[in-house]
Amino acid sequence: MATTTASFSLSSSDILSNAISLSKSSSLNYHGTTATGLTQYKSGKVHVYVTGGSFDLIPALASEEASSINSYVYICNKNTTAANYVTISIYNEVIGKLYAGDFMFIPWEQNDPAGDNGSDNDIEVEAFVGGPQAIEWMMFTESTATILDASGD
Amino acid sequence: MATTIATLTLSSGDITSYGVSASQSTTLTNQGNDTGMTKTTGLTRIITAAVDNVVVINTGDTSGNYGAAALGAANTINKGKIFIQNLNDRGDGTKYVTILMQAVVIGRLYGGDFAYFPFEGGAGNDVEITPSSTTETTLEYVAFYE
Repeated sequence: MATTTASFSLSSSDILSNAISLSKSSSLNYHGTTATGLTQYKSGKVHVYVTGGSFDLIPALASEEASSINSYVYICNKNTTAANYVTISIYNEVIGKLYAGDFMFIPWEQNDPAGDNGSDNDIEVEAFVGGPQAIEWMMFTESTATILDASGD
Repeated sequence: MATTIATLTLSSGDITSYGVSASQSTTLTNQGNDTGMTKTTGLTRIITAAVDNVVVINTGDTSGNYGAAALGAANTINKGKIFIQNLNDRGDGTKYVTILMQAVVIGRLYGGDFAYFPFEGGAGNDVEITPSSTTETTLEYVAFYE
């Protein structure tokens, strides 16, 4: 097992009359345990160009499309131009926009909502305005299978 | 405008031979510019025993009822960010909360887990949860929106 920690903080001194300050730290463990850390990990950086279409950023694992294991995903738009953004989608549903410097950290369930062992829970990215936009990502998974798609050749 | 800063750090000394370390800090701004977001739900705690979908952020509400984080009408949303955490014990892994974007599952928050992600405004973009158990589930969330 490995020990991986996700730490998050939010702070604002002026969005309310009283300041907001919160922090949270969590170890990335197998579900149902507090001590067994996730052991498989993928990451990458890609430049996403404006093409009018979306791309698979993190494909759902073929080995897990019939299960409901959890993974944790971090995605960040490293662009520095405020107007530039990408959308992040799952199963054709736009989760939201990541503008320059924005990030997200989510649990990700990779099972197959359509029941056809397709790639329905792929995490997709589409760039809008400017580009290319540098997108960095990490995926930590509790899968106990090979987290690679089978070779087709 | 307000200044709200979100920071995430991911670190592991042993998930690879060289470890992993990443940290990102961002100021929450309105779309397409550097103006800080000025609206928030404030930190909210909910306790639910429902096993049906529960709307956490009603992005398309036009009733003017802003209770329970209905953020529509005069507060029409362009975009938002939400932090949400499951305060329950992790237990045996059978108790969790599924996070959905309308009908599409994002993932499961087990006890102690958290998530931070952007959301879109307008009908069809509600942030919802579905607890797995009829025993009480305690969640906290705070959303910031434009």
